[in-house]
Formats: sequence, C-alpha cells, structure tokens
Amino acid sequence: METERAARISAAVGGQVGSLRHSALVTVAPDRVVEACKLVVEDGQYYHLSTITGIDEGENISVLYHFWKGGGFVTVKTSVPKSNPRLPSVSASLPAALFYEAEVMDMLGVVFEGNPRMGTKLLLPDAYPPEAPPPLRKEADPEKIRKMMGLE
Amino acid sequence: MSFLRWARKRSVWVYNVNAASCNGCDIELIASTTPRFDVERLGVELVPSPRQADVLVVTGTVNPMMRERLKTIYEQIPEPKHVIAVGACALGGGVMKGCYNVGHGVDKVIPVDLFIPGCPPRPEAIIYGIMKLLGETPEEGEAIGDGESRKD
Amino acid sequence: MSESKGPVERTEASAGLMQYSPENIVPFGPVHPALKEPEYFKLILEGEKIVEVIPRIGYVHRGIERAAQDRTWIQNIYLFERICGICSFAHSLSYTTTLERLTPFEVPRRARYIRLIIAELERIHSHLLWLGLVGHWTGFETLFMWIWADREHILDLEETITGNRIHKSFATITGVRRDLPDNIDVALKREMKYIEGRVDYYEGLVTTEETLVARTKGVGRINQDVARRLCPVGPLLRSTGIARDVRVEDPYAAYDEIVPDVKTGKDGDVASLLVIRLEEIRESCRLVTEAIDKIPSGNVKLTVPRVIPEGDAVGHVEAPRGELLYFIRSGGGMKPERVKIRTSTMANILTATEMLRGHTLADVPVVLTGMDPCFGCMDRVSIVEVDKGKLWSIGGEELRKYGIDQYGARRRG
Repeated sequence: METERAARISAAVGGQVGSLRHSALVTVAPDRVVEACKLVVEDGQYYHLSTITGIDEGENISVLYHFWKGGGFVTVKTSVPKSNPRLPSVSASLPAALFYEAEVMDMLGVVFEGNPRMGTKLLLPDAYPPEAPPPLRKEADPEKIRKMMGLE
Repeated sequence: MSFLRWARKRSVWVYNVNAASCNGCDIELIASTTPRFDVERLGVELVPSPRQADVLVVTGTVNPMMRERLKTIYEQIPEPKHVIAVGACALGGGVMKGCYNVGHGVDKVIPVDLFIPGCPPRPEAIIYGIMKLLGETPEEGEAIGDGESRKD
Repeated sequence: MSESKGPVERTEASAGLMQYSPENIVPFGPVHPALKEPEYFKLILEGEKIVEVIPRIGYVHRGIERAAQDRTWIQNIYLFERICGICSFAHSLSYTTTLERLTPFEVPRRARYIRLIIAELERIHSHLLWLGLVGHWTGFETLFMWIWADREHILDLEETITGNRIHKSFATITGVRRDLPDNIDVALKREMKYIEGRVDYYEGLVTTEETLVARTKGVGRINQDVARRLCPVGPLLRSTGIARDVRVEDPYAAYDEIVPDVKTGKDGDVASLLVIRLEEIRESCRLVTEAIDKIPSGNVKLTVPRVIPEGDAVGHVEAPRGELLYFIRSGGGMKPERVKIRTSTMANILTATEMLRGHTLADVPVVLTGMDPCFGCMDRVSIVEVDKGKLWSIGGEELRKYGIDQYGARRRG
C-alpha cells in the first residue's frame, strides 16, 4: 500500500521509487521537493512530519523528509550537489519543518531558501569555527574542530 | 578543630551546574536529597543561586556553549569555595570523549577539588564524595584547611 | 541600555510560522542573537504578556551523531543511551529496533516482552520524575519528596533486573543482554500495585489542590490545529485529544500482543498533561503486570552480529516524552555510515513556544515543565520587555520563585 502511494506520488512529480526499510521512498529532483511533500500530506493524508535527515554522500548531500501516518512511513528524498547545496524550504507549507531544516543547515551546510532561521544557528555553538566544514560532512575532522574551538 | 571550620562543615550549601550533561548525574544528585538517601540530614543542601553556595557541583561535558557560563558561575561563588566534578563526562569526557563539541574534563575550565566517578554515580557515591571533601569520612584524608580554599 | 523604538513588529506568520530573523529584534536595544550569553528562551514581552518566543538550543549539543560513525554497532548502544539520563532505554530500544530491520534476524518473543517491561518501567519513572518536578516548580516540596521516594521503587526494580538505575545498557542487537531474575514477577506485581495506589492518591491531589489547579488549568493551552501544524509528539500531542501513540500505531517489542490503551485529554493545557501522565503511569503498571503474567519462555537474544548488512532503515518508539526516531545507514561494515536521531523534545519545542504565547512570566516555569523537556536546558531565560526597551535575564530558580510568589499574591490579593 505504501509502495503504491509512493509510486503515485513519484509519478506525479517525475520521481523514482526507492528502498528504505520500514518506509516507502520517493526520490525527486530538488525543485520538486515542495510539491512532493505537499502531495504526501494532502493526497496521502500523512499527518505527521517526523523529521528531516541529511546525509553526506561524497559528491552530493541527500536530504530525506520522513512522513508518518498510522500504517507506515513515506520518505521523500532528494539530492543536491555539495558544491551548491541549495533547496527550497518547505517550512511555509509545513511549519513543523522549521527546526528540522535548521538542523540540516547546521550539520551539513545545506541552504534551505525561505527558511526564516537561515543565518542563525540551532545546535552548533556560536564558537563553531566558520572555516571548519559543517560537522557531519565527510571532510570534517572532529579532532581539528576541537582544536579550533580551543578544546583540549 | 576551629569553631568556624566545624560550623561550616555542619552546613554545606551546594549549587549544581549542568554543563551539557545527559541529566543522569544531576538526577542522582537531586535524588540524594530525597528521603531514601536524605543528604540533608548531613547538613548538605542544594541552593538556588551560586552566590549562596559553598560547593559547586558540575556535571557534564562542558561544551563551548557552557564554558563561559561555567566560568561566570564559578566566579560568582564567594570564597571559600570548592568544586566537585561528578560523573565520567565531567572527569574526562566519559563516553563522549572525542566528540567535536565536548570538553575533556571540568578541570580544564575551572579548578576542581574532588572527582566522583560513575556513569552516573549512585546517590550514595555522591554523598560519600561530598563527605570526603569535608574530611568526614573514616579515613581522614585531605581535609580542607581553615578558611582557605585550594587555589592551584 | 538604549530605548526601544516602538512596539514589536509582529510579522504575521502565515499558517503560524514564526519569523525568527534577527532584523525583527534588533530595534529593541542591545538585543541581538550574537549576544555573549545566548539563552535557551528569549521571551519578548509586551506589557505583562509574552508575544514572541525565540528558542536557542545547543547547550547540550555534544556531537553524538558524528561520534557514532567512529564506534561499532554495539558500542553505539552505550553512546546513544547516554543522550538522555531519563529515557536512556528508549534510545537503545529505538536504535536496536531500527537496526534489526537491516538484519534477517527476528527478535525472540521473550526478549520482546522483556523490552516492553523495561520500557514501561522507564515510562513510569520518567513520569514520576516529571510529576515531582511539577511539585518543585509550583512550590510543593513535600509532593516532590514523596513522589521521588516512590520513584525509588521503580529504580530498585530496574537495578534488580538490569544492574543499573539510570543507564541500563540492557538492550542489545536482537534482544536484551540477560534474562530476568528468578521470581521477579513477585516483586514486579507488588510494586506495580503499590504505584497504582500512589497514582490514585496523586491524581486526587492534582485535580483538587487549589494552587496546583490554579497554576495548571487553562495554562499552556494548545489545540488540534496547533498539533497539525507543528507536529508535536507524546503526551503533549495527546493532550489535544489526538489519540496517537507509536506503541499502537507501529507496534514494536511486544506491543502487538500487549496493547496499550492510549490516554488523551481534551483541554490541551498543563492540567490535562498532569492527568494524562498519571493515567499513563497506571496504564504502564497494567502493561507490566500483563506482560510478566504472559511472558513466554525462550531465548533473550541471538548471536549478536558484528557486521550489519548494507541498507537504510528508519524506525521509532514511544519514549516517555513521545516519538523517538532513528534513521540508520549501514555501508555493510562494522560501524554505521550515518545515524540520525530525532528526540521527542526536539519535536515539541515549536509547540512549547506556541504554548507560552499570551502568558505572563509567572506561568513560564509551569508551561515549560508541562512539555517535559530535558531539564538541563531550562537553566536560563532572557526577557525582552518591548515597551520598556529593557533586556534582562532570569535564572531558572528565580523564575520558579517568581511564579510561586505571583500565584501566592494572586490568591491573597
């Protein structure tokens, strides 16, 4: 049932059905993300946005939007190039996404255009060195970051 | 033993700072004031402000956001004062050691008089530690001197 | 301190979205997000009332998701359970349950029952802890002492079964680390009966004691519309009347066989939260008793794998505070490539800011405690008084005292 729904959504936004244990997964292009999420919530009646996950995959950063309703998860996935990690924010239609996007901004440096918290930190300390990569990027080295912040 | 020193040992006011801890140690500290353990029968009381405290109890990993605050609080405590670091995180980072946003020990930020290990230490262990600081335990060890606090 | 340039420009949020941009608060003197002492909650007051709440978290941020990539699958159990000293088992349960989906293994039935028992014991201790704190924050020290003394009964049980009071290190991949001690059913059933009796007493108290009622009834009210927009979880969500609980919607451990009755409120205020959490304690006692009566024999774990097959998995459990979600990516090795954790408090912060609006300072402790946050975060609040152009800061303890005094004055005057 979940995969049917995923298939329907992906057909509507030109995406692809993928594999994630315990969730249906639809992969879409970055510019279709807002639309796909809307479909999930309105058509699919997924009433709960659980969270937004970001993953550094080397050349790209993947962003996954996990939606829940009784019966199963549906996850909308998209990827942006690390060289230009920009995505439209879904926070206008999904206010619950505000902090989840902010966390991905902090941890991976993805820019969610339209998110009111752009430019402010949610979790990272003010002392986080601006020259250090965001901490969940593969190139980030915890040792180096500690030294830069003056932690022995 | 001087009267002043005896009087001070009969009532020890403790201020607790949670410096980026999981709350485990703080909860066991607070639990030590509850009827099962009742540290208050020994004259030890938790106070709501650093300005009233004799002893500062610090838990947690002291991340960059908490570092300055911890120093400020330490300075607000009037002399003579003592510091107890409670829990593995406060000792040297504990299980969080190596994380990019943690310190490796409270003693890297402020001077510490006593360490109580554990993850978290039981209320009995915390009480024992406080008693040891006061020199009240059977092995009369390094009792704190009259009206002086350790500066190094 | 510079004077304010006028009343706050409330940027009207579309669909309740709060505008947090620095420009909105710069007009009010030396207030700026880049203050030397960033605070957990920045409250913007107009007169007495809170009109805007700007949270700044990060006080307990340690870098755990990154650290998880340097630790083996088993080592990470011990790491994740120390995210929180209150719902420690919920973390290890959510992690192992999600991880097990990447393996071909099925958790043995006996292990699932034991997981349920420990998870419910943890729910009881967490709710009791919270209830005691409500007592503390409203000036009822005796209530706090009694409740925390009762809570020790649960901690004794946990220690007897798992070896520890707080970080139990009990769940493992494919089950639990050791079996229940012999004859634990006697102690379990006895203590559950004891707790049920205490809950009856506390429930009577919180619904009739004048000050408690005054401080919680109608306070921090949210409704289903807020819930739909901001997606809170746990008792906070259920206080609006929405009957959702991961144990029922997505059963794990033995919840498919021992089904919880979901407790809801209808008023969405802190008074409802008091009742809901007390009822949940009672329900947990019933679940533990039923589970220990019906527990099957068998293994409590399988041979624990060192290497987890490649793949992505997502999963969640109902921690005491609500949905706790884990996302795990395995590259087929001995360590995870990515673990993403979304704690229940994180899901509730937006709703908490909504709860605070329209209230006065005196209500802040009760409202914030109502959402049951990890209380290490509540150490400091900073206030911006818009019409007076003032910025000042107040510590948690002072706020607590202020609240108690204010309500005392209201009752007297």
